[in-house]
Amino acid sequence: MSSIENTPDTSTDTAAASAPARRRAIAWDGFARYGAVLILLIVLFIVLSLTQPRFFTKANIENLLTGVSILWVVSLGMTFVVLTGGIDLSVGATLALTGIFLSKMVNLGIPGGVVFVMCILFGALVGGLLNGVLIGRIGLSFFVVTLGTMVGLGGVVSLWSNTRTTYVDSSFINAIGINRLLGIPVPIWIMVASLLVALYVQRSTYFGRDVYAVGGNGDAARLSGIRVSRTLVAVYAIVGGCAALAGAIQVGRIGAASPEVGGDLALNAAAAVLLGGTSFLGGVGGVSGTAVGVLFIGTLQNGLGIAGVSSFWQQVVTGVILIAAVLIDRIRQSGAFRGRSRVLTTEQPSAAGA
Amino acid sequence: MTVATSTALLEVVDVHRRFGGVHALRGATLSIKHGGTVHALVGENGSGKSTMLKALAGQLQPDAGTIRLDGEEVEFSHPTVALRRGIVTVTQETTLAPDLSIAENIFMGHRMERGRLGIRWGATSRRAGEVLDRLHLELDPNQIVRRLRPDQQQMVEIARAISMDARVLILDEATSSLTDDEVESLFAIVRRLRDDGVATVFVSHRLSETFALADEVTILRDGSTVEAGPLEDYDRTSLLGAMVGREHEEPPVRPEFRSSESALLSLRGVSVPGAVQEIDLDVEPGEIVGLAGLVGAGRSELLGAVFGLYPDRSGEIRLAGESIRVRSPRDAVDHGIGFVPADRKGQGLVLTMSVRENLIMAASCNRPRMLRPSASAELPVVDHALATMRIRTASPNAAIGTLSGGNQQKVALGKWLAAESKVLLLDEPTRGVDVGAKTEIYRLLGDAADSGIGILVSSSEVPELLAICDRIVVMFRGRVMATLGREEATEAAITRYGTGHE
Repeated sequence: MSSIENTPDTSTDTAAASAPARRRAIAWDGFARYGAVLILLIVLFIVLSLTQPRFFTKANIENLLTGVSILWVVSLGMTFVVLTGGIDLSVGATLALTGIFLSKMVNLGIPGGVVFVMCILFGALVGGLLNGVLIGRIGLSFFVVTLGTMVGLGGVVSLWSNTRTTYVDSSFINAIGINRLLGIPVPIWIMVASLLVALYVQRSTYFGRDVYAVGGNGDAARLSGIRVSRTLVAVYAIVGGCAALAGAIQVGRIGAASPEVGGDLALNAAAAVLLGGTSFLGGVGGVSGTAVGVLFIGTLQNGLGIAGVSSFWQQVVTGVILIAAVLIDRIRQSGAFRGRSRVLTTEQPSAAGA
Repeated sequence: MTVATSTALLEVVDVHRRFGGVHALRGATLSIKHGGTVHALVGENGSGKSTMLKALAGQLQPDAGTIRLDGEEVEFSHPTVALRRGIVTVTQETTLAPDLSIAENIFMGHRMERGRLGIRWGATSRRAGEVLDRLHLELDPNQIVRRLRPDQQQMVEIARAISMDARVLILDEATSSLTDDEVESLFAIVRRLRDDGVATVFVSHRLSETFALADEVTILRDGSTVEAGPLEDYDRTSLLGAMVGREHEEPPVRPEFRSSESALLSLRGVSVPGAVQEIDLDVEPGEIVGLAGLVGAGRSELLGAVFGLYPDRSGEIRLAGESIRVRSPRDAVDHGIGFVPADRKGQGLVLTMSVRENLIMAASCNRPRMLRPSASAELPVVDHALATMRIRTASPNAAIGTLSGGNQQKVALGKWLAAESKVLLLDEPTRGVDVGAKTEIYRLLGDAADSGIGILVSSSEVPELLAICDRIVVMFRGRVMATLGREEATEAAITRYGTGHE
């Protein structure tokens, strides 16, 4: 009766017993996916602190953080888009556009606080109604759509602003960029708040789950009753709103709305999201990794700047590390790929695993 | 064995192969003594058949063990190595280039070239014609492959194998999308090749085909060869017994269904252009209705039409007598209709998410999206499903991918039970699950029906439908050919109607 132990029931138990290990490997917002970059960030931080006396000072850390605040806010929004398996190339154009919108509204005499809210709604509308509807409802490719809106909105920015920088005289808007609250610059407060909100939405709402489900397997999500197109419209609205918030910070920091901002924002945000371990295939990753990715890029920029290294080198290093991070991920995946292919074809080996 | 030769044509000896922690092959052995035989390789899902065939085709390398061809040890490090040695695999999905001609496809891997750049088109076409003649196929070598029927495409694949001087032809589930007539013509060709001295390794999930074609059999169970010998030593029961490793258990027979004369789900004139035409069908509460028919008969499309997958669907869908509007899967879910698709990994589950999230996905799809999923509301539902369905998982939060195929399928079904669906649509509910899990899924479907759910289930495995259904609707080319009650439903009747005979 030795065959009894070979019944399929036993085999499924075996598969289940190895589950904790596998679970750790697949855990979506897991530390494992951005741990390497986090360690690299800490090492970089320590090295810079020891070798560059001007690095670990209150002024410089504030400078570092406010310097990445725009990238931070946009990247958090971008994370939701990437989690659904997309990317938004138009965030830079949206940022510039909302800046112009903001300057026009302020110059109409509308109070700064109201304009600020209008500006974020405007960004969300642009993202949701243009990108979101075309991608989510009509089903066009995210790449084509956001490439199109990037170019198109860029043109709108130039037309609307007459390619001129407009000064914005609003104490509220300027406060967003420059003022301090409890001794800490407002952009840093915005960073903290936006991360907390993003974390909450990602982890603690049905919407957050929908984002993972849509990115993990859009078909399965749709067949389970999840409104996939609505979810997609929402993530593009979110990233649009984030770009507008970043636009307001930008205007506040320089006191003017320029049509020339945001040029390489989309690619930098994508780099930060990728560095943070979110899979470009969707369904895996999360905003905490993105925060690490942004800090890494910011620290590298700031540190190399202090060390007197050309900013072009900083670009080279960012590029190399980005590809290295993906390469490491691929190597890890290919190790896991044998395991993954095992999982994907469970009916084949699992019964054999008894 | 008829001829005593000192060395076997092809021998696989004590092959092992691990995938991570799973031992897919653990000492599997296969011996084809000489050409001119058809050798069946049988075993349950997960017994290691596919792994064995992949090792033979050079698609993966065993961790240990040897493969010998004519007594000489060989290492198939790459598929082309196996091809060059005359081992050719034909699978269910053809690997033909659809927009090229038959001749071009046949000679794709070994083009007849003129110099460095030229191709000898005349010779290619002539040689292709010779190969087709050898198989007694009346096809024009210059015809475009896309225009061929599936079985003809299958034949072209075999023709390609012949043109490569195949000594061992591997047919891996090559018949599963063919009609009976087409299967018969494929078998005729395999027999012709057998007479020419080609050895065939035959894998099919239909035992009747195995008995019709094969001379010898090797039985795999849990990755090792448990028995091998002439097929005439076996009958259906003893073969199944050897595959499963215990007495083959026929699924429990459902008690006679007593019609309540009140339809839960009614379809009236449901059509999807190009797929299903004018379907009328009723499912009563507590009834399991089967959809039988060939691959391509429109069974899946009919289920999809009811679930709102096709915007161009016409006709009426009624639920408990009331006409309902189903224009999207969400509409169907809102009306209490659940759908378990055939492609579990592609459509049934989100593999990147946990068991819990998959189980609760349909039940929570109408909750306000900015709410926080409440553990106290979800966990009892999830725990209940795990317990009553006997889903084996380390934890509700384990990734769904860590579960075996059978347990994954239970989750795909369980999410609709958790959502308290009134109507269940299932497409190939036991595809890729082992025999033990199959029986459990049948039991779960029976329990669901007993609780008053109406079930419409499509399957290409006729014995499965016979085992679980109260009524079987046979489809052919998008139409209903017959509706068979318990007594009328036999394998022969279903096959007859399913191939278009009145």
